[in-house]
Amino acid sequence: MAAAERPRRGQWSAGRIARVATMLFVATIIIFPIVGFIAMAFRDNANVQAGTDGFLGLGGVSWDNVVYSWSQVNGFGPGEGGLFTRWMMNSLFVGIGGAVLAVLAAIPAGYAMARLRFRFRRAVLFVTLVTMVIPNTVLVIPIFLEVNAVDAVGELWPVLVIMGFFPFGAYLSYIHFMTTMPIELVEAARIDGLGELAIFFQVATPISKQAIALVAFFSFVANWTNFFLPLALLSSNQQNKTISIGLQELIGASPLFNPTVAAGLDVKLYMPQLALATSISMIPLLVLFICAQRYLMRGQTVGAVKG
Amino acid sequence: MNSKMITLPKDTEVKPRRRPQAPAGRRSSSLHGREARGAWILMSPYMVLLLVAGVIPIAYAFVIAFQTPPTPLNPEVSFGGLESFTTVVTDYRFLDTFANIFSVLVVWLPIMLVGIIGLALLIHASPGRFGSSMRFIYYIPGALAGVANFVLWVYLLNPAQSPIQGFWHALGFTTIKAVLVSPSNLPMILTAMLLFQGLGTWILVVNGGLNNIPDEVLEAAEIDGANAWHLAWHIKLPMIRAWIGYAALMNLAYGFQLFLEPYLLDQVASNALPDQWTPTQLGYAFAFSNYNFPAAAAMSIILLIITLGIGLLVVFRSGLFGKEEH
Repeated sequence: MAAAERPRRGQWSAGRIARVATMLFVATIIIFPIVGFIAMAFRDNANVQAGTDGFLGLGGVSWDNVVYSWSQVNGFGPGEGGLFTRWMMNSLFVGIGGAVLAVLAAIPAGYAMARLRFRFRRAVLFVTLVTMVIPNTVLVIPIFLEVNAVDAVGELWPVLVIMGFFPFGAYLSYIHFMTTMPIELVEAARIDGLGELAIFFQVATPISKQAIALVAFFSFVANWTNFFLPLALLSSNQQNKTISIGLQELIGASPLFNPTVAAGLDVKLYMPQLALATSISMIPLLVLFICAQRYLMRGQTVGAVKG
Repeated sequence: MNSKMITLPKDTEVKPRRRPQAPAGRRSSSLHGREARGAWILMSPYMVLLLVAGVIPIAYAFVIAFQTPPTPLNPEVSFGGLESFTTVVTDYRFLDTFANIFSVLVVWLPIMLVGIIGLALLIHASPGRFGSSMRFIYYIPGALAGVANFVLWVYLLNPAQSPIQGFWHALGFTTIKAVLVSPSNLPMILTAMLLFQGLGTWILVVNGGLNNIPDEVLEAAEIDGANAWHLAWHIKLPMIRAWIGYAALMNLAYGFQLFLEPYLLDQVASNALPDQWTPTQLGYAFAFSNYNFPAAAAMSIILLIITLGIGLLVVFRSGLFGKEEH
């Protein structure tokens, strides 16, 4: 009966037109600036300032412009420049290192919280949930004071370690084992004589590919885009900046916003160069997103993204 | 169903194991000990990180907050009681920073929530490729988080080259500095930036909640003659109320820690904006401009208490934790 009514709803009623039009309108608002911004990375500054290049600047895109802009972005820094590449490497180091640490810590912790009995289990779960929903910037200044106390401000390793604490990952892993690994499986493994650690490594780990992928993905994205933590811990050391605070330095060196600083530089960072640097800085996220999409779409866990 | 948040485990919970059942009764206490020991070994890397990145910094912030700041005349720190809290609360910028946050929240939060709910409902009413591709497009700006999103906004906000140049010129602005320093603009600009980068992610979250509504419920309503509008307003909306509350509180907590956007906007406005516009910026200034670590620690504790309060509401009211209560 309901099925028989469906085709009628498939027609272009006023409500349906309004719904599709609204959704397309919002999509347009989102896509236009992004297209214009990416086009900006392929444009020439003289044309940008003259406002030629046509609709969204798409008329003025060329690879030569990218080559020139890259020479400017890559030329930034003392001597021969190269700071941009160095910052990308730093970000890869703390981003990947932090994600590996997050996986190594979160997967066993989530398993233990989901499937093992121990005193304070609920307390640990509670602390995990609370730290997960608190915005992580709140803790940055206390973390700075701690790192300062051990005299490691400006070093990359404390950033990596702090990024390794990823309570959302522990929660994802907890949910994963709650939903995919029945307690009977653990009991059966015990009867077979396996120890608790062996059960985790031989029974639980092989079925946690999905959880590992999700924890690694969300943690890497959070690390890559993290701004406040590297700002507090790494600003004092130009060589050890990550790309997020490096981009901030590029903005600060642009003649558009800071003519006095820019006047002392060999390179000129106008909007095309800033757009190119930003676009390049997003490539690792894009690659990861494409690789992880299979896992992201499968689990409904994607709904639990921290805001 | 609707009161359970996000991806709560179905029914495999600890409850039965708490009762002395036959299988549990057979287990000796040494077995329990072994289980607990195994659990703590598996938990240990996570616990170490929790200590290093959570517990110790917070505890240390409390220690620092109760000290006096070292001064050139008196480089030794000593116990200062609540002095640093007084310094923070009586700072002439303290109340302003919260007023600024509220000026953003009152505009941004309502639009954000209406946008999230409206678009999530529209996507849910559009099955198939169209709905899922729209959902994907809405998510893209969320992936451009942080500084990348900011540079994109510099491109939009600069009347010299913006694709919405005509709009800025119509309002009489010719430089990005003029756009930003016009007093009533900043909350609007921050609202637009936060909407752009936050909407998509939260649409995914709420859409997840809508997907949890059993098909039978919707089909039954359709048989009863409900149209798409009735379904959305009378069936779907009440069933995702918990998710809406979750989104509201999480975004509220997010609003309190705003830093990146006002901090960087100040930079592109040639420092023409107030340097300490939000509470987090004020805390940052205490630490990095004044080198008054006790005051910075006190400010962090104040913000921590506010966001912790909101966080506890989320955890207890959303059902994130409630599933385990018995």
